Amino acid sequence: MDNPEGRAFKEFLERKEHMKENNRLKNRPIVRLTYFFVLVFLAMFIFVVVFLVRDAEDTIADTGNRRQDTMANAITRGEIRSADGKVLAKTEEKNGEEVRTYPYGETYAHVVGFNDYGKSGIELSMNFQLLTSHENIVDQVKDDLAGRKKPGDNVVTTLDSKLQTAAYKAMGNHKGAVVVMEPDTGKILAMVSKPGFDPNEIDKVWEEIHTEEGSTSSILVNRATRGLYAPGSTFKVVTALEYLREHPGGDATYSYKCEGEGSFNGVKIICYKHRVHGTVNLEQSLGYSCNTSFCNIGVNEIKMDGLKSTAEQLLFNKSIPYDGDCAKSSFTMDGTKDKTLIPQTVIGQGETQITPLHNALIMSSIANGGVMMKPYLIDHTENVAGSVVRSYSSETAETVMTSDEAKKLQELLLSTGAYGTASYKFKNYRHKIVGKTGTAEYDNEGHVHSWFVGYSNPEDPDIVVSVVIEDSDSDGLTGVKVAASIFEAYYP
Amino acid sequence: MSALICTISKYMILIFMALFTIKCFLYFTAKTKKKRARNVNLQVVDVFAVHFLCHLTMYLNTREMEVIWYYLIELLIAILYMVIFRVVYPEASRLIINIITFLMLVGYSMMTRLDREMAVRQFILASIGLFVTSFIPFLMGKLKTMKNWTVLYGIAGIILLLSVFIPGLGANIYGARNWIFIGSISLQPMEFVKIVFVLFVASGLVKAGTLRDIIINAVIAALFMLVLAIEKDFGAIFIFYITYITMVYLATSRPIFLFGGIALAVIAIVVGYFLLKDSLFSHIIVRVEAWLDPWAWPDGGYQLRESLYAIGTGGFTGVGLGNGKPYLIPVVESDFIFSAICEELGAVFGLCLILVYISGFIAMANVATKCKKPFYKYMTFGFAISFITQVFLNIGGVTRFIPSTGVTLPLISYGMSSIFSTLIMFSMVQYIYVLVSREGEKLDEEERDLRRKARAAARALAAADGSGGAYETGTPDGP
Repeated sequence: MDNPEGRAFKEFLERKEHMKENNRLKNRPIVRLTYFFVLVFLAMFIFVVVFLVRDAEDTIADTGNRRQDTMANAITRGEIRSADGKVLAKTEEKNGEEVRTYPYGETYAHVVGFNDYGKSGIELSMNFQLLTSHENIVDQVKDDLAGRKKPGDNVVTTLDSKLQTAAYKAMGNHKGAVVVMEPDTGKILAMVSKPGFDPNEIDKVWEEIHTEEGSTSSILVNRATRGLYAPGSTFKVVTALEYLREHPGGDATYSYKCEGEGSFNGVKIICYKHRVHGTVNLEQSLGYSCNTSFCNIGVNEIKMDGLKSTAEQLLFNKSIPYDGDCAKSSFTMDGTKDKTLIPQTVIGQGETQITPLHNALIMSSIANGGVMMKPYLIDHTENVAGSVVRSYSSETAETVMTSDEAKKLQELLLSTGAYGTASYKFKNYRHKIVGKTGTAEYDNEGHVHSWFVGYSNPEDPDIVVSVVIEDSDSDGLTGVKVAASIFEAYYP
Repeated sequence: MSALICTISKYMILIFMALFTIKCFLYFTAKTKKKRARNVNLQVVDVFAVHFLCHLTMYLNTREMEVIWYYLIELLIAILYMVIFRVVYPEASRLIINIITFLMLVGYSMMTRLDREMAVRQFILASIGLFVTSFIPFLMGKLKTMKNWTVLYGIAGIILLLSVFIPGLGANIYGARNWIFIGSISLQPMEFVKIVFVLFVASGLVKAGTLRDIIINAVIAALFMLVLAIEKDFGAIFIFYITYITMVYLATSRPIFLFGGIALAVIAIVVGYFLLKDSLFSHIIVRVEAWLDPWAWPDGGYQLRESLYAIGTGGFTGVGLGNGKPYLIPVVESDFIFSAICEELGAVFGLCLILVYISGFIAMANVATKCKKPFYKYMTFGFAISFITQVFLNIGGVTRFIPSTGVTLPLISYGMSSIFSTLIMFSMVQYIYVLVSREGEKLDEEERDLRRKARAAARALAAADGSGGAYETGTPDGP
């Protein structure tokens, strides 16, 4: 029964099986590493998908993305509107060309911005949304087939046309800025900066500022967010807060005899118009804006390191939680610096600088029980048919003081309107006004910027108004007067 | 009208790309030779469809006759390559031929889109590459002693790497000194050293009988990487290192070499960071910082930022070839070509491309598993690893998956060194594929022969005894 062929075949099969097994062992590293690389690539694959689904929209909405301009080839830029439905910017066809027009011209110039020469304001920050179409899909296909541009989404702002116009008019020909906001939501209701420019004539404006005499002009700067001013007496709010922190209950016990002038750390300080305020408590010191009393607090009652940390808690030297371009306010004093700087610093005349928006935020925090809301300008975006695409809601930025501190400051600051430096406008006003005035000297010839920061209805605060008027001395227009016009427009 | 055609083409490109990708994987799951052949035959249609639609879009956008000429010449070269390779090496892997042709055509299309002058250069040099590397499988058949040239590989590799330091020949580009210039031709020696390095390690490991041999091999391999470190070419070091430790792991089957190698790399990075923070490593630190937060680094993160804008703006379906702004990304034509592809052809195309590269890698690894000669096995797998690591570094870098290292995307990026070296690797793998196929066929034949004989003998015995039966055997096992 011998079968050599059969045995040879059997042996061959065994050899083959053996080789296979051998090779399988030998190949194990290849198989494992192949799986490993496939897994790594799978992870990369998922990473890219996640980027596109989750992060891409925010990434490309970034103002640094120059690709947004290409989107204008397929999309007609959407409109920008005020909260009460006024069209602030729209794109029109003129002689077969698209033209961006601004029906209210200068009034909204800085806040709405312009669309050419690099863009600014809302035109810049919402560029991506204005150039994105959420038109319904049927119309999109129709537009595609017809080779028409699709209508971009419209941006509805939080701006109130009544308040914006009132603020713009009230400022007259003065340089300066106004910010009006809701303290409990952070909605910005008005934002004006002067001098203005006509965004409809941006070509001419651009030409002008590139001439020799125009190159020093700052008309394109939004002073509400970029303008850094000495806070003047409005800074006394910060000094008072620091005093309350170092002396709990000090508002009841503090007393100082004002003689209209005094020497502090060797620096001579006088009260406004050399007025002698007599014996004042903390409330009267704020109400009359008594310089000598505050210098006394600064030199004898509080520590500069403490003042610095309080100022920084109120976001001095910090970025302001605002989506647009906003300058940082600065406070440089501390315990190690020259003591002769103290008197000027505590009354807001030193190196300290603040933006009108930031000053509005500090006052908002007092009105809102110590909680600072993030200021915002955009209420929602909607498609061409008016359905909401995305709503923006109010966000808490941070708690900058306790609610007790806020309450106490509010009580103290009622004096300004009731009998103090703003009483000439608000004493008999039908709404109670809480606030602080300020007069910041910027040279030695008596030229001053005039501030008012405050809010109405302390029981349930309605609006915060922050005003700075440059060269107030020229015709006596003060921050208080401008604020009064704005309150008047709000409570018709 | 032409806008409509462009829009339709955009989606058609994505569909054909997806079909091509699917066929890359169906190839591995196909059970019979016949099905595999059908699969790769149909795949050719997808290759040319994508190429045609890309050029159609470009023509409609620009209305330049030039585009049509480019199309025809590219088409001709691609067909020639496919046909010649098929005729000369009938047993070569059709899948690999398709992948090479497809990636090259995508590269040509992107070059035509981005910069005509570059496209012409790329086209001429790459075509020469295709032609020259076609001889490689033939040459390898003649050079049976390749596995013995360890010393030659070592010396040649190091000299090639050092060539960038010869004054008048080498130059600094983007902070790394890894280019040489001969006349108007610029070369990246590293690309070729990659191949020599794999050959060196493979031949060294074949002969290594003891731990001592492995250590000597390791020391010389480290010397390669040291030179690369002086050149500040950290992407290349990464590729060389991964290739090296995986090859040692393959040769020894001991995971300790793999994990030990990774641990050593981590230690080297930590030590390097603390010792050379301000000199050698500053180059890396800048890139890592740009990777962590591209928006916080105005200059360092610029390229990555533009890349993310491009990919994000393109979205899944892209803005259409010719409608984007890929030129806003610095060196978009080489290291950042993937972002340009995603921007204009769509992320779906880019994602498919990731899968196509993976299938190319699997195809190579598959050849390595079938190969029984250790030298060729190590070599093939070394090429596969160095190829896929480079793809990983490139795509991971531009999508912010990992810090960017400045390596090219094989076969698509502009740059003749990169294309040449990738083509050489694939051609060498093709030779191994042919070899393995022949071996497999020989084995099958032997099996058939023996089975026939055994059956005949059994039948003869059964006829004589009136009993017995035939052997039942399994199905033939083809490569």
